[in-house]
Amino acid sequence: MTESNSVVRLEKLAKAYTDGQTFYALNHIDLEIGRGERVAIMGPSGAGKSTMLNLICGLDVPTSGRVFIEGTDISQLSDDLRTRLRREKVGMIFQSFNLLPTLSALENVSLPLRLRNRSRREAERRAREMLERVGLHRQATHRPDEMSGGECQRVAIARALIFDPPVLLADEPTGNLDSASGEGVLQLLNELHRELNNTILLVTHDRLTAESCERMLILRDGRVAEDSAHPSTIESVLTESL
Amino acid sequence: MMTALAFVTFRQWGQHKLRLFLTLAGIALGVAVFFAVRTANTTLISSLATTVEKLAGHATLQVSAGEASLPQEVLASVRQTSGVHLAEPVIEKVVETALPDGPNLLVMGMDTGSDLKLYEGEFDQSSLEISNPLAFTERPDSIALSRPFADHYGLKDGDRIPIYTPRGRQDFTVRGFFRTTGASVVFGGNIALMDIHAAQAAFDRVGKLDRIDIMTDPAANVGEVQQSLRARLPAGFEVAKPDRRGESLEKAVSAMHLSLLIMSLLALTVGVFIIFNSLSVSVNQRWKEIGVLRSIGVEGHRVQKMFLVEAGVLGLVGSALGVGLGFVLAGGATKIMSNVSASVYGLASTPQAPAFRWDFAVIAFAIGVACSLFAAWLPARAASRLSPIQALRNIEVQQSEGVLGWSRFILGLSFIVVGLALSVFSPPGVGLMVHFTFSLMVQFGMILLLPKFVVWGTRILRPLMSWQFGAEGQMAMDAVVRMPRRTSATVGSLMLGLSFVFSVGAFIHSHKNSLDRMLDRCINADLTIATSDQIRSRTYHFSEDQERRVGSLPGVKDTDGMRLTAVAHGNDEIMVIARDMGLWFSNSPGLLDEGDARSAQQQTMKGEGFLISQNQSFRTGMHVGDQLRLETPKGPLTRPVVGVVEFYYVEKGSVFMDRSLYKQFWGDNSVDLILLNLDPGVDRVWFKGEINRAMAGEQRAFIYTNEELKAWSSRTTDQFFTLTYLEMLIAIFVATMGLVNMLVVSVSERQRELGILRALGGLRSQVRKIIILEAVAISVVGFATGVIAGLFNAYFLVRTAARLIAGFSLRFEFPLTVVLVTLPVVLLVAIAAAWWTAQRAMRLRVVEAIGYE
Repeated sequence: MTESNSVVRLEKLAKAYTDGQTFYALNHIDLEIGRGERVAIMGPSGAGKSTMLNLICGLDVPTSGRVFIEGTDISQLSDDLRTRLRREKVGMIFQSFNLLPTLSALENVSLPLRLRNRSRREAERRAREMLERVGLHRQATHRPDEMSGGECQRVAIARALIFDPPVLLADEPTGNLDSASGEGVLQLLNELHRELNNTILLVTHDRLTAESCERMLILRDGRVAEDSAHPSTIESVLTESL
Repeated sequence: MMTALAFVTFRQWGQHKLRLFLTLAGIALGVAVFFAVRTANTTLISSLATTVEKLAGHATLQVSAGEASLPQEVLASVRQTSGVHLAEPVIEKVVETALPDGPNLLVMGMDTGSDLKLYEGEFDQSSLEISNPLAFTERPDSIALSRPFADHYGLKDGDRIPIYTPRGRQDFTVRGFFRTTGASVVFGGNIALMDIHAAQAAFDRVGKLDRIDIMTDPAANVGEVQQSLRARLPAGFEVAKPDRRGESLEKAVSAMHLSLLIMSLLALTVGVFIIFNSLSVSVNQRWKEIGVLRSIGVEGHRVQKMFLVEAGVLGLVGSALGVGLGFVLAGGATKIMSNVSASVYGLASTPQAPAFRWDFAVIAFAIGVACSLFAAWLPARAASRLSPIQALRNIEVQQSEGVLGWSRFILGLSFIVVGLALSVFSPPGVGLMVHFTFSLMVQFGMILLLPKFVVWGTRILRPLMSWQFGAEGQMAMDAVVRMPRRTSATVGSLMLGLSFVFSVGAFIHSHKNSLDRMLDRCINADLTIATSDQIRSRTYHFSEDQERRVGSLPGVKDTDGMRLTAVAHGNDEIMVIARDMGLWFSNSPGLLDEGDARSAQQQTMKGEGFLISQNQSFRTGMHVGDQLRLETPKGPLTRPVVGVVEFYYVEKGSVFMDRSLYKQFWGDNSVDLILLNLDPGVDRVWFKGEINRAMAGEQRAFIYTNEELKAWSSRTTDQFFTLTYLEMLIAIFVATMGLVNMLVVSVSERQRELGILRALGGLRSQVRKIIILEAVAISVVGFATGVIAGLFNAYFLVRTAARLIAGFSLRFEFPLTVVLVTLPVVLLVAIAAAWWTAQRAMRLRVVEAIGYE
């Protein structure tokens, strides 16, 4: 993969915590992810999956090494610049949805655009389109407590994609859902990927979810234990590694 | 189970120390102000009474003519009355000395030739050290000083002390001292004794007495002797027991006490709302905890009980602290009130430490606890009604609907309308406290309307915020509206605190403007010469000769000598104001509020009619045409009321008559104020110097231009309201602390929300801006509602309380300056608090805030 094709690039990326002795949550990882790739990240608890996502989206800063998003080294940026980059280029989906409980679905979805100082009218028009796209136009005025878990996650997906980010990070998006809802969410993500061709990094424990991706990383003890870029080898990787 | 719940609450206190502190401070401050005002007032009255008692010695009766003097012949009549054992003549003057820093001195003139047995332990031989008793009595310049006063100014036996008298500055020779017991503590130790004849000569009282102290025969019934004296003496003389004099002094300061009490009650309502706010915030903050408790089997009523018990305990602790703090504040409050009583009412008091009254402490304590429970009831009920699922999700949804409901709005509106109607249409006779309750009804109605005010206020602000601050402005407005319960509680505490400030501001402003208007109509001379820097002294006057001399200076167009004397009238006092009525009418067009000016002028000039003040008319129901009877040393004086004047100098009511009539019936030609009008072109400031030169070497004269008189009036009003200003500061402090409390809690409980905003791309500056704009919006709405509630409150203070306390009909004046000064203060506090809390919130890592790791 050439450097120009990579959307996400990690160079010797490390995140260490010191509590008497140093513990590496991520241990000098090198990785490149190309445009339009769907990558499943798997691994046991504490392997460094969420830490990796935090560093990629700039929510956290590495101890050493660098993170490039579309060629920009975000590890050298200030907090404000990282935040600006995040709201331009990275959409996020969380296991626990992280919708604001007092906002309606429409308001939640429009939030990223409003943070970018788009007019309320424009933000809500675009949010309505996104809600329609995820099949929730009728629930636009519903608050999170008035929707099912699957619907909440669809709202979160709409929110993550409203500004058409080149990178979408999803941290166990089906982890809190029943199997039917989870399947629906995955299907939606796949459809949207086909339409938008964005890069998706998806943390999951679920084999079926992982199998829906073209590439799979397996993390263990802060290192990449496996990196399978070919769907045909996924089954064997899963069997051997997990 | 309650023990377990108490443990949960206790842990909460440990984790939210600031909230705990603010809640306790709210209760403690409310209770403290209430307790301090009551304690200080009692201490002041006790110190006034002590002064009277110490100066009265063992007298069982006293004869006086109010503030006018008694003819000396009366003494013989008194002594001849059956049942009178001893009768001693007294001259009592507060004079100014020419010592460094010019202290005032209370000079008692007594018959030192007698053994002064009536004053045993106070002024008798055992209490005095006089080296040469014969010289002391014989020489008219003799004076005995209290030891502390003499020591303070380094005065020894034989030294000279300069004193201003109506005959000019005179030097007196120190020929004796009080021992450090007895009367030497009166008037802060600034007390002196002279022989009665010397005092009469020095203070222009030859042939006159200020008072006669009487010791009745031990076998005689004091009441019967009192009746005999009343029958024997003209009706204008007052024969009273000394403790009754104490009571009349208590009445003199009753207006001050009542107004302070009303202010302290208002301060207490602010305290109540702080508790309500704090516990509402506590319920909001602990939703999740309530949800957990409910889900593990704690019933709703126990949750309610948990909050009520918490409020009760906070009430107990806060009230106990409040009583302690109140007692400390009472020391300062007593000093302030003593100063006011001396400067505004001219009453000398004996400094006393505040006495701790258990009954006041118990009342204040009970009020504090009751208010805490009352304030906690609604938040506790709200907590008990929370749906466990909603609570676990920490969502303020169902509550908003209840809070914003129209039924609540209509109820609130009804309270306001009914409260106002009762205030306007109820007769004054129902009493001050009943009217205060009507005012509280209006305030309660305003509280019920708050959520709607918040929504409407935010709608009004939204376009402005959006235009000025973009998406952050809109998002801040959304956040305010989305949490009406929490927002309303904070807006409410701001509203009540500020309404107190604005209404008291309106009251004081209206009071000052009314006084200015009165001065324009009643004391509208180019220059006013007074005997005291407090305009009038109860004991110190100009002589007619001085008035004549000043009036004859070149450049004087006309002069009016004005005498103000408080005399007994029924069970109370009335201020008799004697002046040149013809001149007054000529110089004051539009003088009368009621009555025909032309005929009133004619009648009063001839001594055939009285004018009365508006408050006298209000108190007695007298109007033009009614007959007013005054008791004078020469017998009853009855004249028709021919006019009513707007006059606010004293709360007790005033009657105006021509000076010739006054002199005829009271035999008193003293003057308190000399009003001068100057020829055209004469410079007033220059002429002040001329007057000072003309009066040089005599008593000091205090000369005011019209503007200076108004400034003095404004200063005196400020002095009167010193304690009220302190209460205003406390109210602002408490209200802004409520705002800080809410912001701290609001931001800490919204860390996840703020974290999500940051995760979605919100910059630190954006999030900080949202928090600050929320605080600004809440402040603006709190400020606006504070103005509205303040106007309602001001109606009570200006129209009702002023009338019921002092009979004053003040005209409402909007306190624009107070409003304009308060707005930036509130906004600055809000912005500073929001900035601080936002900075704290920003320190948290986003991944921690959203619980992502």
